[in-house]
Amino acid sequence: MADKSNDPVAMWQNMMGEMEKGFNSFANQAMASPEFSKVMNQVGGVTATAQKQFGDLMEKYLVSMNLPSRAQMVGMAERLQSIEAQLNEIKALLHQVHHNSLAPEGGHGTPRPPRTKRPPSEGEQK
Amino acid sequence: MSASAGLDLTSIPDRIQSEVQRAIQRSIKGVEYFSTPGPSLGSTPKDILATRGTMNLYHYRPVADEIYRIPILIVMATTNRGYILDMVPGQSFIEFLLKRGYDVYMLDWSAPKPEEKRLGMEDYVLDFIPDCVRRVQQDSGEQDLTVIGYCFGGVLSLLYGSIFPDGPMKNLICFTTPIDFREMKLFQNFSDRRYFDVDGLVDSVGNVPPELILQSFEMLRPASRAVSQVQLWENIWNDEFVKSYRMFDRWATDTLPLAGEYFRDITKNLMWDNKLFNGTMTVGGRAADLSKIKVPILHAVAEHDHIVPYDAAKHLITKVGSTDKEEVMLKGGHVSLVAGPNALRRLWPKLDSWLGGRSI
Repeated sequence: MADKSNDPVAMWQNMMGEMEKGFNSFANQAMASPEFSKVMNQVGGVTATAQKQFGDLMEKYLVSMNLPSRAQMVGMAERLQSIEAQLNEIKALLHQVHHNSLAPEGGHGTPRPPRTKRPPSEGEQK
Repeated sequence: MSASAGLDLTSIPDRIQSEVQRAIQRSIKGVEYFSTPGPSLGSTPKDILATRGTMNLYHYRPVADEIYRIPILIVMATTNRGYILDMVPGQSFIEFLLKRGYDVYMLDWSAPKPEEKRLGMEDYVLDFIPDCVRRVQQDSGEQDLTVIGYCFGGVLSLLYGSIFPDGPMKNLICFTTPIDFREMKLFQNFSDRRYFDVDGLVDSVGNVPPELILQSFEMLRPASRAVSQVQLWENIWNDEFVKSYRMFDRWATDTLPLAGEYFRDITKNLMWDNKLFNGTMTVGGRAADLSKIKVPILHAVAEHDHIVPYDAAKHLITKVGSTDKEEVMLKGGHVSLVAGPNALRRLWPKLDSWLGGRSI
């Protein structure tokens, strides 16, 4: 078997690992500086504001084109989610009703295993 | 092996053949990768007990013949989806718990809607968690419960436990939970109060977009995404590697937005003023003092956690007022601690041996 130190694939993988570590470490040092925070937050603040303004502008444009805006699409998605949630509730209720019908006379709620389990003693197979 | 050169010349043809075969496999599997969906995640059978805005409460159907008396409520981190704890059969924490006889509920989050931007820390700690606790009590018929919080879900669980120290929480388990936010050095620098205008951001965007959250996580290890893609290409012939890559990549990029006020609360109270560590934290006007927590507590931390470094998590055990308390440090990172093959061997059995005797 080839020595790992001379295996080109192992060497490549090792080099990638070292490069990753080195770059992450270097970048983390750079990102720990107050200057980085200042620049990052200036750029981030400008970008967020610009995105917001662009979004508002786009919404007006879409309304003028008689097209649904993002807010309207989000609204539709929310209604769909709400319908899905109601369907899930109905499904859970049906599931419960089904189990109740199988439960013994006088029993109530979904039948569950008894809550009698004890932890296995030392050495016992789990 | 040739001792002088350290290279076995006779193995070179075999090695070339193997690499050529892998190169062919890469081409075939590479096409497959883009034409097939990833593995189905979070498929352990469950019932939805409640959905209310961003809050979802699930009950996983028990599989054991008998179960422990005390049910478990898992509180997921608000930035990510709960299926990290229920990846695929054989690599699912939920499945593991069910098979070991626990009754499992999960408080999971969906993306807050634009009108939910006003949700603050008090909505999560004083409304969502107590509401889920009540529902778990009602559904299980048991008054006591164990709470398990992952990452920021652990912070929410601690806040809940310190505000409601008289119960019904019977046991608390935290995974990689930060307490001392000064020690989250890079996040501290990203949110430096001199330069980070959190009010401006929240007031302009409402909910904090998931791209921003994902970007801040990825900036902690900026080279790792590119390297992981190179590793994927190298290992694309290996079905198990690809399956695992797809599972974790999908989860990692499936980041949730954060409700605006909640993000503002986290930034000001935790990142800037470190109130939880300093013992001055309040939620909705109620003091959240960790020393009030007296229940048995287990805190699992990861040796190589780049998101919540050990220095940020290590004070949890000393700060709580419990006498029955344990911290366990395991090999792995922030995610591999709780999910994947290593978790199956390390964290899950440890948790089972700790919790079993405390669940009767």
